Amino acid sequence: MLRLIGRRLLLMVPTLILVSILIFALAEVLPGDVGRSILGPYATDEQVRILNKELGADKPLYERYARWAGGFVTGDWGDSLLLKVPVFPTVMKALGNSLLLAGFALLIIVPVSIVLGVFAGLRRDSVLDRGITISTLSMTVIPEFVSGVVLLYIFAVWLKWLPVTAMPPDGSPFVSRFYYLILPAIPLMFLELGYIARMARVGTVQVLAMPYIRTAVLKGLPRRRVIFGHVLRNAMVPTVTVIGSQVGWLIGGLVVIETLFVYPGIGKLMVDAAQTHDVVMLEASVLMVAVIYMAANLIADIVVALLNPRIRMGG
Amino acid sequence: MATPQAAAAGPGEQQIQANAAAMLEQRRQRRYLVKALLRSPTFMTGFVIVLFWVFMALFSTFLTQSPTDIDAMAILQAPSAAHWFGTDDLGRDVLARTMAGARTVLVIAPLATILALLWGGIIGLVSGFYRGYTDEIIMRLVDVLLALPIIITSILVLSLLGKSVAIVIVVIGALFTPVVSRTIRAAVIGEREREYVMAARLRGERSAFVMAREILPNITQPIIVEGTIRLGYAVFTAATLSFLGFGLVPPSPDWGLTIATERIFLQIAPWTVLFPAAALASLVVGVNLITDGLSRVFSK
Amino acid sequence: MSAVEQPANSADAAPAALDVRDLEVTFHRRGRDLPVLKGVTLRIARGEAYGLVGESGCGKTTLAMAALRYLAANGTVDAGQVLVDGQDLSTLSEEAVRKWRGEQIAMVYQDPATALSPAMRIGDQVAEVFRYHEGLGKAEAIKRAREALRRVALPDPDATLRRYPFELSGGQQQRVVIAMALAVNPHLLVLDEPTTGLDATVEAEILDLIEELRGRINAAILLITHNLGLVRRLCERVGVLYAGRLVEEGPARDIFTDPRHPYTMGLMRCVPRFGMNKTDAALQTIPGTLPALGEPLQGCVYSARCPMAKPVCSRREPDLYAWPGDAGAKGAAKAEAMPADPAAYSPHHASPVGEAPRHARCYFSADVADMPRMTPVLATSLEARGATEGDVLEIADVSRTFKDGRRRLTAVHDVSLSLKRGETFGLVGESGSGKTTLAKCVTGLIAPDSGSVAFEGMTLRATAGRRSQDALRAIQMVFQNPDSTLNPAWSTRAILTRAVRKLGAGGGSVRAKVDKLSADVRVEPRFLLQRPTDLSGGQKQRIAIARAFAGDPTLVICDEPASALDVSVQASILNLLVELQTNERVSYVFISHDLAVVRYISDRIGVMYLAELIEVGSAEAVFNPPHHPYTEALLSSIPKLDFDSQQQRIPLRGTMPSLSEPPSGCRFHTRCHRILGDICVNEVPPFQEAASGHTYQCHIPPDELLALQTATEPAAPIEV
Repeated sequence: MLRLIGRRLLLMVPTLILVSILIFALAEVLPGDVGRSILGPYATDEQVRILNKELGADKPLYERYARWAGGFVTGDWGDSLLLKVPVFPTVMKALGNSLLLAGFALLIIVPVSIVLGVFAGLRRDSVLDRGITISTLSMTVIPEFVSGVVLLYIFAVWLKWLPVTAMPPDGSPFVSRFYYLILPAIPLMFLELGYIARMARVGTVQVLAMPYIRTAVLKGLPRRRVIFGHVLRNAMVPTVTVIGSQVGWLIGGLVVIETLFVYPGIGKLMVDAAQTHDVVMLEASVLMVAVIYMAANLIADIVVALLNPRIRMGG
Repeated sequence: MATPQAAAAGPGEQQIQANAAAMLEQRRQRRYLVKALLRSPTFMTGFVIVLFWVFMALFSTFLTQSPTDIDAMAILQAPSAAHWFGTDDLGRDVLARTMAGARTVLVIAPLATILALLWGGIIGLVSGFYRGYTDEIIMRLVDVLLALPIIITSILVLSLLGKSVAIVIVVIGALFTPVVSRTIRAAVIGEREREYVMAARLRGERSAFVMAREILPNITQPIIVEGTIRLGYAVFTAATLSFLGFGLVPPSPDWGLTIATERIFLQIAPWTVLFPAAALASLVVGVNLITDGLSRVFSK
Repeated sequence: MSAVEQPANSADAAPAALDVRDLEVTFHRRGRDLPVLKGVTLRIARGEAYGLVGESGCGKTTLAMAALRYLAANGTVDAGQVLVDGQDLSTLSEEAVRKWRGEQIAMVYQDPATALSPAMRIGDQVAEVFRYHEGLGKAEAIKRAREALRRVALPDPDATLRRYPFELSGGQQQRVVIAMALAVNPHLLVLDEPTTGLDATVEAEILDLIEELRGRINAAILLITHNLGLVRRLCERVGVLYAGRLVEEGPARDIFTDPRHPYTMGLMRCVPRFGMNKTDAALQTIPGTLPALGEPLQGCVYSARCPMAKPVCSRREPDLYAWPGDAGAKGAAKAEAMPADPAAYSPHHASPVGEAPRHARCYFSADVADMPRMTPVLATSLEARGATEGDVLEIADVSRTFKDGRRRLTAVHDVSLSLKRGETFGLVGESGSGKTTLAKCVTGLIAPDSGSVAFEGMTLRATAGRRSQDALRAIQMVFQNPDSTLNPAWSTRAILTRAVRKLGAGGGSVRAKVDKLSADVRVEPRFLLQRPTDLSGGQKQRIAIARAFAGDPTLVICDEPASALDVSVQASILNLLVELQTNERVSYVFISHDLAVVRYISDRIGVMYLAELIEVGSAEAVFNPPHHPYTEALLSSIPKLDFDSQQQRIPLRGTMPSLSEPPSGCRFHTRCHRILGDICVNEVPPFQEAASGHTYQCHIPPDELLALQTATEPAAPIEV
């Protein structure tokens, strides 16, 4: 088991390197003249030249990349071009905020989706199943900003049950943050609900068709034992896998929701950096997000290995 | 199972009748699929919704007021007889803008999907068929591309490449290619060990023939389903990118863009935001109902 | 075989283990009603073993599912009753049915790998039965589980308890399933194709186990299978199902030696008997095809295919008449006298089952023994086929290794053999022996790591892609699975046309060639326009054969060509292959796990074990002593139909070693019942020559081996 984790971590390294090269290439190589793309078309050539020298953009590519990658690993992420503050603490703080929001959403929605999906799968093609499937499907595919804006209108503007902003005023206790996070978290929950519930349903349906379920029933086991002991255990494998890969869309959802609700998370940080061409901030935050994404997938794979002894033992 | 007519006819006629019967059978099977689709409520609902928006995309300019005419005298008016959906902050008719907003999405999303299917299909076919080192390398690259969430990468690229409809299409198509290639590769791997493929190799068929004529016709169903799934995601992504400001520019009536610019008026003029939101929601749901209906019918 | 006396009267002291009365089951699919079982009546007494045989679609599994109240959602019991131990399950509540399952009735079926929950340890799965039926606590239940595993002779029960299903072999998995089924001593054990898919030697072990367990428990057994030899070995009584109808029933011994229904007789005749070769007699086939599921049939269900059918047969269905007796003939006469009114027949009125020992649903049972034979082409002798004129194929020291993660599996190890023109070389071996890999090396689908393959003296290129068109034309292959051997997206005609275009030599219209090919394999032209999915299994395989013959090949490799087909269809495919060989003078390499079939169709036979060719010789020589101890054990493990050939079963010790770690010295030494000692462990045995052309790899010289192996003389098989 440990060997499996070790091997996967080792495999992450080359992927991470390639990803960082990709990010670097997109951010600094693609636009051609970095300084020009930051300052825009109206700056003078002299200003651009000074900025490029400051950024080190006149040095060869591999040296720039090495300096940047090396700096990333050691924790020296440079200073934001826009805000003139060190990037590392800014990104970390934003990351913390985002993890709070995402964690809050996932904690609620993952169990709910699994339960709904399994229910739908157990009563396949029944009214309950069609109802659950159609409604979760619909909720999932609606872009977060659409559901966010509609919910914002209904609950914050019209009914006035929830606050319009996502952050409590300064000095409020930490717990109050969750109250303010309810509204932003709901679109994220909708997003994940559909995928997780669908996978749980598919997994359940597939497992129910398996001969070992027939064995369990013909052994005379009570229905509850069959479901919990045999169906769930095996149906969770594809479900957990999908949760891991869905983190990508969750991150995208964070970007949108944080922009919509003006929440100081890493998503908003990235969008602002992209719009203002703050290359230093952009590179660092994107790479950090990639690391988080890969870590999430790794955790999902580990959970799957725990559930599936065949993978665990390499059999 | 000879019918009385067949028994009465001579041998030549029997042959012709048998031919006709066989062709009818094939047509009947194809029609069965279509009939099953027509009978599926999910598919039909989605189909009607999408058809409606396609119609609007094509003909809305003839049916509604102009979506771009500014009227400084009539800003932010609530829905009324003159303007069924009200007006926005520049006095433009919201109904017209909402109906016209379908156009941009329905151009970007399908084209991006087709690009993704084309590129992803070729890569998946080649990778899945040849296996070995080719497959390993390609899949590693795919993993790298998939390590970044799509929205993030598109933001990164679009912020630096500039915004135009063509670039957005190419970017979304390119970013969906890895996922499509994965799905198609899996389907190809499933077919490639089949005995009819082995029989083809024993005939000396070239690889290109085997991929195109033997394997490809047997994976059309997963390709179609994947295509509709990607279409849904493409609509989603295109709208999100315009919302974030990386897609189209004003005065395009694009829904994502409209919601982004009008959301500051949510408290005083919610109709400027809610109608485009509802429209976008309906289109996305429609596409996904089509996907759901198709995959249900195919899996029967 | 224990003899359970059939009760003289139907009013027993103890209720029958299974009592099926006039059962009718219908499936509803896509708006159509498909009747699957029509008025089936049978009884199994306590402790009796009953075999239910029939081919695919006859409804045997449906019967078992109805007995367990586990029919699929779209199946309904329209009429009749099923009583287990006197209790009608349909009257019981859900909770009561749950208790019945396991305690009164249990089931074991095919493919044990998928029958066990993959993510749960063996111990927990077996213990579950005790926990939920006897209310035991966890520790106590595990103890009982250990006992249960010991009962089924699983080595090292403690270790097995902690393992997961994928860590066990097929045979071990099936033992676990049996242990679970017998855990709380059910009164009826249903076995549905319990050994299909398992190797012959493993199958024999499982059968040994079942026989031994029968002595100790009082369970009745319902054995459902298409394998007649299995039934002969285990069961006292047999019922034959055809198209949802019970057509014959009676003691196993009598049914197989003296069938009284044309279908049973047809089955007996189309199965190759041990010792039979194609030059002796052709297999008798049953004309026509099996009726589709739920197809409505007029009159006797078998009349469309019966060589003895008379007009009355298709007019009025016969009842299940007792045999001997002239109820059948009387019934026929009565039916002749009746007006031709199909509504006037009553299918449910039969003589009560259980009163007379034998029944047959036929008017003309008395004539079945003289049922007319069809006379297909008889294979000509080797000489007439030109089989002495030099080698067509020469395989020299071919080896091939695969990498599986970190392990290296040597699938084929230094195999050499040669083949003459017009000759059939049978290749036998269990799973993992390397026969399919060898076949793929010959055809070029896989490139061997070392060694060479020469055709008519010229060395062939390793991969098919590099070979010349002539080489491809000359060596072709027929595959095992009829459902995937033809591309489902093409029409049948297109498949043959393409094959002719790529492989066909000489001038002449392509269309004419395709027509001739389909005529040669007896597929009517109208089927050519359809997709393969619309054809039956037998037809698909015929087209596959036609495709292989598209270029007038010299050698056709047949990899289990008939294994996936029903017995009656198998016979026609085998006859077709023999006919084509006689007419076209092709050579075959015929791979199969079915020894009787291989013996029938092969001129020479090679036996493979663990990637090596350990014996080669003429079919007759290999199947009789002196032969390799593995061959000897393999032959003894096949359940045979002939009653008088009582052979000693030779059980093999242990399990098949892994290909990644073959044993030292003689690869077979870990399981050999004639192991000499250290010499077998340390030294690779030489090839001994038992007769001209017959060699085997062993340390025991031929005369000694002959003496050892003929210590018990087997009697000659009888003819039917």
